[in-house]
Amino acid sequence: MGTTDRFERVPSLPTSTRDRQSLVLTLLAGSIALTLLTPMLWVVLQASQVPSDQILEILLRQETLDIFLNTVFLVTAVTIGSVLVGVPLAMLTVQTDLPFRRFWTVVAAMPLVIPSYIGAFAFISATGQGGAFTDVLAPIGIERIPEIDGLVGSAITLTLFTYPYVYLTTRASLLSLDGRAIEAARSLNHSRLSAFRRVTLPQLVPGIAAGALLVALYTLSDFGTPALMQYDVFTRMIYVEYDAWRLDYASIFSLLLVGMAIVILAAESRIERADEEDAYVNRGTDRPGTISLGRWKGPALAFCSTVALLALVVPPAILLYWLGRSAGGIGGGYEFQWIYAWNSVYVSSLAAGVSVLAALPLAYLSARGESRWASLPERSSYVGYAVPGIVLGLGLLYFTLHYVDSLYYTVDIIVFAYVVRFMPQAVGTLRSSVLQTDRKLVEAARTLGHSSLSAFRKVVLPLVMPGIIAGAALVFLTSMKEMAATLLLRYPGFETLATYIWLVRSSADYGDAALPALVLIGVSGLSMLVLLWRGYDVQE
Amino acid sequence: MTGDNGDSDGGTSDGREKSSRRRFLATSGVTAVGAVAGCLGGPGASGDSSSGNGQMNEFDLGSFRGSGPFVSSRPEPSGTSIRDLPSLSGTFGVALGGGEGGLYIDLFEQFEEIYPDLTIEHRTAPSTDLANTIKQEADADNVQQDIFLSVDAGSLGFVADAGATRQMSAEAISSVPSSFKDSDRNWVGVAGRARAVPYNTNDLSGSDVPSTVQEFPEADALQGSMGWAPSYGAFQSFITAMRLIHDDQTAIQWLEDMQAAGVETYADEFQVSQAVADGDIDAGFANHYYALRVKAWNDDPPIELAFTRGDAGALVNVSGAAVLTGADDTEAATDFVRHLLSAEAQEFFATRTYAYPMIPGVQPVGDLPTVDELDAPDIDLAQLSDRGQTLDVMREAGLSV
Repeated sequence: MGTTDRFERVPSLPTSTRDRQSLVLTLLAGSIALTLLTPMLWVVLQASQVPSDQILEILLRQETLDIFLNTVFLVTAVTIGSVLVGVPLAMLTVQTDLPFRRFWTVVAAMPLVIPSYIGAFAFISATGQGGAFTDVLAPIGIERIPEIDGLVGSAITLTLFTYPYVYLTTRASLLSLDGRAIEAARSLNHSRLSAFRRVTLPQLVPGIAAGALLVALYTLSDFGTPALMQYDVFTRMIYVEYDAWRLDYASIFSLLLVGMAIVILAAESRIERADEEDAYVNRGTDRPGTISLGRWKGPALAFCSTVALLALVVPPAILLYWLGRSAGGIGGGYEFQWIYAWNSVYVSSLAAGVSVLAALPLAYLSARGESRWASLPERSSYVGYAVPGIVLGLGLLYFTLHYVDSLYYTVDIIVFAYVVRFMPQAVGTLRSSVLQTDRKLVEAARTLGHSSLSAFRKVVLPLVMPGIIAGAALVFLTSMKEMAATLLLRYPGFETLATYIWLVRSSADYGDAALPALVLIGVSGLSMLVLLWRGYDVQE
Repeated sequence: MTGDNGDSDGGTSDGREKSSRRRFLATSGVTAVGAVAGCLGGPGASGDSSSGNGQMNEFDLGSFRGSGPFVSSRPEPSGTSIRDLPSLSGTFGVALGGGEGGLYIDLFEQFEEIYPDLTIEHRTAPSTDLANTIKQEADADNVQQDIFLSVDAGSLGFVADAGATRQMSAEAISSVPSSFKDSDRNWVGVAGRARAVPYNTNDLSGSDVPSTVQEFPEADALQGSMGWAPSYGAFQSFITAMRLIHDDQTAIQWLEDMQAAGVETYADEFQVSQAVADGDIDAGFANHYYALRVKAWNDDPPIELAFTRGDAGALVNVSGAAVLTGADDTEAATDFVRHLLSAEAQEFFATRTYAYPMIPGVQPVGDLPTVDELDAPDIDLAQLSDRGQTLDVMREAGLSV
């Protein structure tokens, strides 16, 4: 306490300068948040053209209620599923003597590189009658794997490809866990389980919640999986109505979707913000001791392997199976070109860089701001993450054509779309990093004569670097997979791996789509290694 | 994989399959191709071409024509040859709706090979996306492309209503029957697809299939053995046609009666057709070309097509083209559309996508009835865009759309 008191007594800066700096930060964060919300203008405009009695009629239809409930079921199922898969994997890889721990650490995060639409497509084509599984398993007497679709199929697929968000955030929390608190609890005669429940879990909850938030919002916005699994959620119905030329219905469904996102954001705020400074701040380097798995080693390995098999082995194996059976001459008129891979990497890298830059002020203000509104810009940036790509694309189309004509038909607008959609992932990781840096270190730098900018550069930046890299990698990964908005916003001659997959998707020869899909997974996989080695694991 | 609820026109991978197969057939095909090209004037015989300005390379019909089971005994196409059209040069921006597995790109490449000064820049996306994009561009007075090539007439009507199209000359589209083009000449069909009833020839004969869809729920031979794909765009257009011909109530009643008679649901109409060939169901509802693809890819599958008469089941929808306000030179853009209606391009659509040609001089493949034998209902095809109400009708009948 003595040190703290001493720092607090330092007459650092005149209050007016401080206020001005905080005002600048607030204005900056506010304008970034507003810029990110511009695509929503179109949705609101569309919806405002619908007569109010018709809005009421749409809202009160049984159909709308069904879609709403379906969406709630799916989001709940995927979020719970991701926690049930992601948290044990994080604990096994951080805290136990799991064999080949480094291997499993990497493997458990990898499903993030596989687009859920490819996963869903693989599962659908592999199961059921005549699926690839049937061919492979017939010799060992398994006649037929039941087809997975609907709620169960969507929930399983989305869980398998989004649980890494929970895994990664939980892992980060575990790595910054203060081992001394657990030892204290143990010395006070608490059992291991009780120490976990009373000391470890409360410290993990904000991390788990941050990951669960990303999972829930991703599920809300994902179109490919429920569409392929024929499960009627808001994203699918937005598309069906849009495709049937009913933009009014589509816009109202979009607003309902945004409303659900806001409810989820508010709920997560309450969990995460409860007592987070205590939970996050890394005061010491003492890590909890390793737990010996003993006879649980076998089941633990079986659990890790099953998840890896379903999420990481099955989809690429099926892609290879198609590629092997392909008639050759990939893509017909749309010949595959490596420039597509470069385009994907190029726009995704730009999106990652811009996202991190834009996320810093939001994250910093949210973590350090004193006003109760300080988190508003950060929270509002999550709205874009929950909006389906098609809606975002149309919104941006409207905005550029009417207000910034010069951006139309440029790479910039595609990058901006990715930033709107995926920046929240960077905001999340950056915010945790900022929270983990002890603010007293900054004060100390200031007392040593550094300007606030210099203190930020010399003290804060190195400490939040893992968060920056992790955030950039997450934005990069998701941008690589983006399809719907890119299709609308790209200009002639510009294709990414994802849009190329769309171009050849209607071909009955799945081999055409298998090659770009494998390239997409390969490139994303490499960047995932960066995330793991330079980002989350830096403290290990 | 982004959901394409709309129609996917004609052939997809078959085009590519053929382009790879073409290499193998190159030697055996030379004589046939030479013979056919000879009928059209032959390579190098450009004396009758009206192309005075701009360069033109020699070409033969073989590069437009597919190969495989449906092509071997075809008569040569008649109609306006590319050789008799004004030549194309410069750069054309084409908004190309639908994936098509690259097939239309093959056609564009043929054009580019013929005209060394021609460049075609295509922007390919789902037709609905493009139509909405073009509308927004038109609202901002900033239409980018010269031509819109869409897989459905609904998108073309939508774009025309948005004021984004230019009228084509009557002469340019005169070879297309009036039911397949806009009466104000804002768009024209370039390839047709017919609703059809694929049936399994081991289980049924053609006479077991009633001549109107309204009789299907009561047909003894079809009880509990039919299939459909209600979430598929082409099926929804069929129900829209039923609503337009009769009314919503008739459509709801029919959908309910069909369900009572027993009908299996599939994700798309290729699956319906494949299920018919596999004997999983006896008959189904699908666009005509899926059965042809099943035939092309399997060894003599037991599948044939029946067509109903004069009702929604006999609907013929089109892929079509429109000249957009983004075109600097309406006449040149119209010439581009005329190339899509040339004998060679129509032969391309017929043999490579199994689509219905739009001009009388080109026959559909195989033993398909010609388009005037089909007895299609008299419907303004642009009205098929009224799919929203159809969704409500289908939901009311208890179907998931």
